[in-house]
Amino acid sequence: MNERQSVLAANDPIISVRNVTAGYGDEIIIRDISFDVFAGEIFSILGRSGCGKTTLFKVMTGLLEPVEGAVVIDGEEIRAGESAQTGSVLKKVGVTFQSGALFTSMTLAENAAFPLRLHTRLPADTIERIVKLKLSEVGLEGFEELLPAELSGGMRKRAALARAMALDPKILFFDEPFAGLDPVTSATLDETILKINRSLGTTMVIVTHELASILRTADRVIMLDREEKGIIAQGSPQELRDKSDDPRVRDFFNRSASGPDSNEKSP
Amino acid sequence: MITVDLPGKNKANPKTTDRSGAGGSAGDAPNLGPSEFALDIHEKTFDELSLVLRGRLWVENAEEVRAALMRAVEHEPLKNVVVDLSEIDYIDSSGAAVLMELHRKCREMNNMLKLARAGPSVRRFLDLVDFDHFKDKPILRPRAAPPLLVQIGGGAERIYHTVQDIIMFIGAASIALYEDLRHPRQAKWDPLWKLIERSGSDAVPIVAILSFLMGAILAFQAAIQLRKFGANVFVADLVSVSICLEMGPLLAAIIVAGRSGAAYAAHIGAMQVTEEVDALRLMGVDPIRYLVSPRIVAVGLTLPCLTIFADIVGILGGCVVSVFALDLTPITYFNQVGRVLEVSDVVKGLIKSFAYGVEIAAIGCLRGFQVRGGAESVGQATTSAVVTSVFVLTVTDAIFAMFYHYTRFL
Repeated sequence: MNERQSVLAANDPIISVRNVTAGYGDEIIIRDISFDVFAGEIFSILGRSGCGKTTLFKVMTGLLEPVEGAVVIDGEEIRAGESAQTGSVLKKVGVTFQSGALFTSMTLAENAAFPLRLHTRLPADTIERIVKLKLSEVGLEGFEELLPAELSGGMRKRAALARAMALDPKILFFDEPFAGLDPVTSATLDETILKINRSLGTTMVIVTHELASILRTADRVIMLDREEKGIIAQGSPQELRDKSDDPRVRDFFNRSASGPDSNEKSP
Repeated sequence: MITVDLPGKNKANPKTTDRSGAGGSAGDAPNLGPSEFALDIHEKTFDELSLVLRGRLWVENAEEVRAALMRAVEHEPLKNVVVDLSEIDYIDSSGAAVLMELHRKCREMNNMLKLARAGPSVRRFLDLVDFDHFKDKPILRPRAAPPLLVQIGGGAERIYHTVQDIIMFIGAASIALYEDLRHPRQAKWDPLWKLIERSGSDAVPIVAILSFLMGAILAFQAAIQLRKFGANVFVADLVSVSICLEMGPLLAAIIVAGRSGAAYAAHIGAMQVTEEVDALRLMGVDPIRYLVSPRIVAVGLTLPCLTIFADIVGILGGCVVSVFALDLTPITYFNQVGRVLEVSDVVKGLIKSFAYGVEIAAIGCLRGFQVRGGAESVGQATTSAVVTSVFVLTVTDAIFAMFYHYTRFL
């Protein structure tokens, strides 16, 4: 455990996932998962396709009701189907979706201003300042008046991040932020994520399988597995890469497909 | 209310406090609540204004902080304004926006702003802020409307492109349809049955209810007038002929335009947005042939069927009203219908409804293919599919009416 990790572990857990079992219909995807995320850390959920990363992400953001268990964010239990108006907990959380989910009919600035106009009563010029600030924090100055359709994939992810950060949430969730980005763009997004984490102290939960980015950004990771329907490893990414005995973890970090259950499960 | 003590004037109390925020007490070492802040104003020398901000500087109190800061510097030109941030517990983006506003104001008044003694977390936060942002052009103002001439030109260009789209679409769809009908074995008819079910049988309940009511309403309105002349039995003439010639085909067509035409526009529009149409094209499938011709065939076939159904139910609706409101017996009613209604009336209606069906499906698909961009464009396409369909239906109806009349068709 390095210095930063010990400092972070001394913080209170800001997210507690307690004995969560979740799935769709009768199919259970993840079973009895428990873990804590500490304030200020970059926490990554890893695993191969189909291991339940997205399901866990949906449970943690309140998009999916767990079959059993609960997710507590900053002392409040999060419930599926709660809108940000009724659930104050959702105001502490910003989410960026895999596709960006920007509103296509609005400019970038309008996208980022949307939550501010909805949830605050700040005057227009203050909102405009905040929007400029957020867009410059993610490196999008000068693109404020473009529509999402006029942007590249990396810029769309950045814009989505600016929108998620608009209300200064304590926690940012990312679903596959690096999907479909070239290595250089991924690396600059890594830098942005690190910069925001270090300067604002925002807790970040990143669902991904992008090895390079995990190693560069994440303080702590958990790894899920489809067969196990649960966590098979946790710790810092370097630890898992260098010291894990589990062949599934080694395969993941070595990008090899030699392990005993490396075959994709047939449908 | 801010009063500023000049140095030396009142040595015993060199500090005047302007305190805002909910329930702030006037004590010297206040315990500030979570949404509270305090602004202390000192004037150290004749050319320096020193402000101390304490508490939280965030979205809940940004407006009050801003107002307090503006009041503090309003009448203090040509000074060094030093803001002490050492006692700020928490700052967020709206707080930063307030400080940016203060910076702008100070520059306006030729003051020098200095943010001093920020704690590590505040400092890290403020390091992200570019205080010169206010110089940029506004980003959230609605764009000014272009000059009238440009708008007219833009409109004309849009019309030109729309007409071009329509002509190209009609051409492509005709070729696709011709090919499919000439070589029916080569065509992909698998989706056809599903489409017939969706546009036809699924529409039966709503067509039944509306045409029954339409027949009943026609009979009722006719009855009020015809009763005056004792010509009750002619209700059957009026209802059956107007239902079969006009109301039945039109009603069924409007329902199908609202259901299937809109659905086709939304479906193909969404496919356009998610690049599914491009994927089809690259797999060597002609999207027009694959998507449009089965839809035209499906609606072309189902709409006449729905129309026959609407005719029958509409005449039944008229019968029910006649029996209850006009003391006719069902037998007299149907005898009269049989005497006056000719097969040609029904056939004329069905020919029209076939044309309507082709138009509805084609317009729905055309609008879908015209989608560019995202969700908003899909919405526009859906709306315009229905509106265009209803317009075209009415025009077609008028053309058929003249055609039937002047050619003495059937």
